[in-house]
Amino acid sequence: MLWNRIESARREDLQTLQLERLKDTVERVYTLTPFYREKFDEAGIKPCDITRLEDLQKLPFTRKKDLRDHYPFGLFTVPMSEVVRVHSSSGTTGKPTVVGYTQADMDIWDEVMARVFTMSGASSEDVVHNGYGYGLFTGGLGFHNGAETVGATIVPASGGFTERQLMLMRDFQATVLACTPSFALHMAEVASKAGSDYLKHYKLKAGIFGAEPTSKGLKEEVSKAWGIDYHEVYGLSEIIGPGVSCSCKESELLHIFEDHFYAEIIDPKTGEVLPEGERGELVITPLTKQALPIIRYRTGDITSITTEPCKCGRTLQRMESIVGRADDMLIVNGVNVYPSQIEHVIANAEGVTLNYQIIADKKGHLDKLEIQIEVSDEVMSDNVSEVEKIKKDIQSSLLNNLYINAAVKLVEPRSIERSMGKAVRIVDKRT
Amino acid sequence: MAIAGKIKQVSIFMENKMGELTDVTTLLSKNNLSIKSINLAEASDFGLLRVIVDDAAFAKEILDAAGFSVKITEIFAVAIEDHVGSFNEVVRLLSENGINIEYTYTLSNKEEGAFVFKVNPAMISNTLQLLRNSGVKVLDRV
Ligand SMILES: [Zn+2]
Repeated sequence: MLWNRIESARREDLQTLQLERLKDTVERVYTLTPFYREKFDEAGIKPCDITRLEDLQKLPFTRKKDLRDHYPFGLFTVPMSEVVRVHSSSGTTGKPTVVGYTQADMDIWDEVMARVFTMSGASSEDVVHNGYGYGLFTGGLGFHNGAETVGATIVPASGGFTERQLMLMRDFQATVLACTPSFALHMAEVASKAGSDYLKHYKLKAGIFGAEPTSKGLKEEVSKAWGIDYHEVYGLSEIIGPGVSCSCKESELLHIFEDHFYAEIIDPKTGEVLPEGERGELVITPLTKQALPIIRYRTGDITSITTEPCKCGRTLQRMESIVGRADDMLIVNGVNVYPSQIEHVIANAEGVTLNYQIIADKKGHLDKLEIQIEVSDEVMSDNVSEVEKIKKDIQSSLLNNLYINAAVKLVEPRSIERSMGKAVRIVDKRT
Repeated sequence: MAIAGKIKQVSIFMENKMGELTDVTTLLSKNNLSIKSINLAEASDFGLLRVIVDDAAFAKEILDAAGFSVKITEIFAVAIEDHVGSFNEVVRLLSENGINIEYTYTLSNKEEGAFVFKVNPAMISNTLQLLRNSGVKVLDRV
């Protein structure tokens, strides 16, 4: 089921539409935002220089810092009388970033979230239990409006109060669950205290999860714990909130709503656009935003994109689930290494914990990588060769799947240095 | 019912083999656990220390509390007569009956010669039966 026919449009038609919208957006920011006018002039680019989609590559990036520097409304292109909503992302340091929406922006957000619900099999027949936090965070209200748009019955539960949420889910016969994957798992844990057949009290068929990086293992766990289809949604407030992309029933990859969001994958170090299929930092340019249009926003998220056709019939390109953060990237002998990828490998190994440390060092001119991993409290085997095998399996999995040549060293429980209770993940001795 | 001849052994993962060896033995003796046997199996960058004490469960408890990664496994010990080839006879008996020895080591503090054997846990009861039937002296305790 498609919410909008544009989701299966011919790619040429989609690109024509994208170019038209991109030109408008560039014109808009150049005319209305001194920040962009200055940046474009510096780069020697005028809006009329944008004649093909690839010309976007000539334009400068926008970073989170730029939004923070113009706190709160400095990059808005409409008077506040036209702004109907603001949201804000929590900044861990200093000022938060503030985003604004006109009514037209809200309509776009509702539209893309309606596509997310439809993609997940939800319709007016469904009861949507929304466990995302309501407030400045875009999660709660983003899902709320999308569910209303498809005509579903929305239960605005917000976060917390696990027992009560479970009661509501049972009593109101929720069929679709929207929340973070970790909260879904936590709720399942609490629900299972009622007995191993706890699922008989619930009617859930699908879940729409997002807002945190998720491993394949966690997805499978959530899907199994609730007996539901797992749909992953991606988004960020700077672009719109949840609803930039979502996974369909046929694929784990997330369809990007390209008619509204133009995506590029770049090398985070050089800023060069990478060929299709390669992993790099996701850069998004919203094509239809009014209150806060942004050019080439550096998401900091690492993924790859494919335009391979999908069985579901959508022609929209698909991105991988986020594999890591650009800030955490290490370059080891020319290979980009993301700790989260290594973590996936460790998570699938037996006898070890997720307390690990990646140590990069130099040996002569070459980089060498050592990964220390704490063994689990109960040693899996008291047989030397079996323990050696755990280590070798992790090493070969890193090499075969990630092309990372690392020496794995098993260490004792709680022996890796902790900072604020968490193991220190990366130690780079090369600098 | 416990089958006579099964002995509980405590295995400890060790990263820095030598320094920690004393840590473990000191900890055990402080808690009045006397070490009947001790064996260190070494790999390139870690070791597995195997100890037999009179109360394996208590030893695991205190080692767990001290932050070690610990596992209890069942092994058995066989008295080996003081003539060349007697060890070989036991090994051959096991292999002829399709029982794979995961590892073996000598019992250090026995006056008579004795060896510890570790086999697949699923096979241990049958193995003990086989040894007894063949007249091999299985130790009830070490
Ligand atoms: Zn699809």
